[in-house]
Amino acid sequence: MSRLTLILGLISAALLAVSALVGTAPVSLGDSLAALAGQGDAATRTILWEIRLPRAAAAFAVGAALGLAGAGLQGLLQNPLAEPGVLGVSAFSALGAVIAIFFGLAAVSSFAVPVAAILGAGVATVLLATAAMRGAGSVTLLLIGIGLSSFAGALMSLALNMAPNPYSLSDLVNWMMGSVANRSWADIVLAAPALAIGAALVLMAGPGLRALSLGDEAAVSLGADPKRTRLLVIGGSSLLAGASVATAGTIGFVGIVAPHVMRPFVGHDPQRLLVPSALFAGIVLLVADIAIRVLPFQQELKLGVAAALVGGPVFIWIAARMGRSFS
Amino acid sequence: MISANGLSVSLGGRRVVEDVSFALGAGEFAALTGPNGAGKSTALKALAGVAAVEAGGIEIGGAPAASLNALARARRVAWLPQTRPVAWNLRVEDVVSLGRFAEAPAAYDRMGAEGRAAVDAALAKADAAHLAGRTFQALSGGEQARVHLARLLASPAPCLLLDEPCAALDIAHQLSLMETLAAEAAAGRTVLVVLHDLELAARYCRRVMVMEAGRLVADGAPGEALSSEVLGRVFRVRRGADGALFRGPR
Repeated sequence: MSRLTLILGLISAALLAVSALVGTAPVSLGDSLAALAGQGDAATRTILWEIRLPRAAAAFAVGAALGLAGAGLQGLLQNPLAEPGVLGVSAFSALGAVIAIFFGLAAVSSFAVPVAAILGAGVATVLLATAAMRGAGSVTLLLIGIGLSSFAGALMSLALNMAPNPYSLSDLVNWMMGSVANRSWADIVLAAPALAIGAALVLMAGPGLRALSLGDEAAVSLGADPKRTRLLVIGGSSLLAGASVATAGTIGFVGIVAPHVMRPFVGHDPQRLLVPSALFAGIVLLVADIAIRVLPFQQELKLGVAAALVGGPVFIWIAARMGRSFS
Repeated sequence: MISANGLSVSLGGRRVVEDVSFALGAGEFAALTGPNGAGKSTALKALAGVAAVEAGGIEIGGAPAASLNALARARRVAWLPQTRPVAWNLRVEDVVSLGRFAEAPAAYDRMGAEGRAAVDAALAKADAAHLAGRTFQALSGGEQARVHLARLLASPAPCLLLDEPCAALDIAHQLSLMETLAAEAAAGRTVLVVLHDLELAARYCRRVMVMEAGRLVADGAPGEALSSEVLGRVFRVRRGADGALFRGPR
């Protein structure tokens, strides 16, 4: 493990603890610490262990999944603006989840929503990867992503119109804005297998991503297998994006910002970028989730909105810098 | 070590390599030359396993190339392409360590002592040792070319294929490159290099192969393969009284 990974891991652990100590319920710091250690009264323990910690864990897991998927997709598409949110993968994933909810599949099995979210993510990722393999450049891929996002939004509205059981519009809005409020351990356990397998797949693609830096042909001549690398990243990032959307709805930009910030620390190597990006994105969402609970708004700000408020401008900044150096 | 037998390759429905046969032994240092569009790069790609063979066969180290998977092939043949994109601003030593991908796909700081020693030695051979620690995109074109050369030399493969390695190199580095390749050949590697500079080819390579319109039209010692007849017919140049080359027929 590198020193960077170790430092990021320690910060993550510390922030998870901080996140458990912060909230709207009036619990003193001493009581919180006692409850965290398994002491104190039952109500406080419930607030910490059943409300705040699952929420913090969900924020970190979703951030880490998006950061890893972003770093993997950026390495594969060799484009620093690639990310599940920007490329329309998250929107398609949300579409899958919305279809599962609005057509009553969620009532059939608790796995219906995560599976539908992952399938939705897979459809979008395969479309993008097909375009990339046919030689679509950075701009084309981003345009396809914009198209996919809008299309998924339209289909979500359509699903809402056609749904046999009319849920309120606010359910749809929840999926589109992203939040980890009121998540339980059960939600996390449900997403855990997809997160674990997705992470393993993307990490396995690491060495191949570095070889791909020299182009497909050179990578083949080095003994790498670009097809396998593509499959691993596409499959892995679909699982990660799908599971994160199933847990928290669509949260954009984290997957772009984290790899971008970490890249100089790892020598711009697409393999060494993976784990630090995941940890850093987890930290970003943890901090954002702490911030929206501390900020004195009437109604709690949605996590996805908070992420976009910070991530949007950073995205524009990266794109503007790219334009200078590439065009 | 590496041989082609009736090798034909098509690109986009057009035959660009037609019925090419030759065999290179261990320790041989050969130049492959010919006018633009003669099929040199495509022939090299077919040998490296990145262009589909349409007809004929390639043997590498006694085994038919078709029977080798990408990893087994990469252990036997290393290829330096003509265009050399590098997608990210990688560290120089990480680019070079990719030359040993088939041995262990690790970045420089995760390699074993043997791998790191091989990378360091390759950087030194390519006169690029002082570039270690720098990032790739901050280098000049010639420096980048030397890092790519180091990447090739870091591979333990017994056969090296280089496509126009002299492009972007100053004259001193061109000469030093040819000396390095000659030394690799003397150490037992098979080296095949695509060159446009006939003077360099004649001076350093014991064997020169000439391609024209997809076919191998001359193959032998420099004096024979680059005879005035071949120079005039294939390259449309002639040798003046002072030895310099001039455009046009005799």
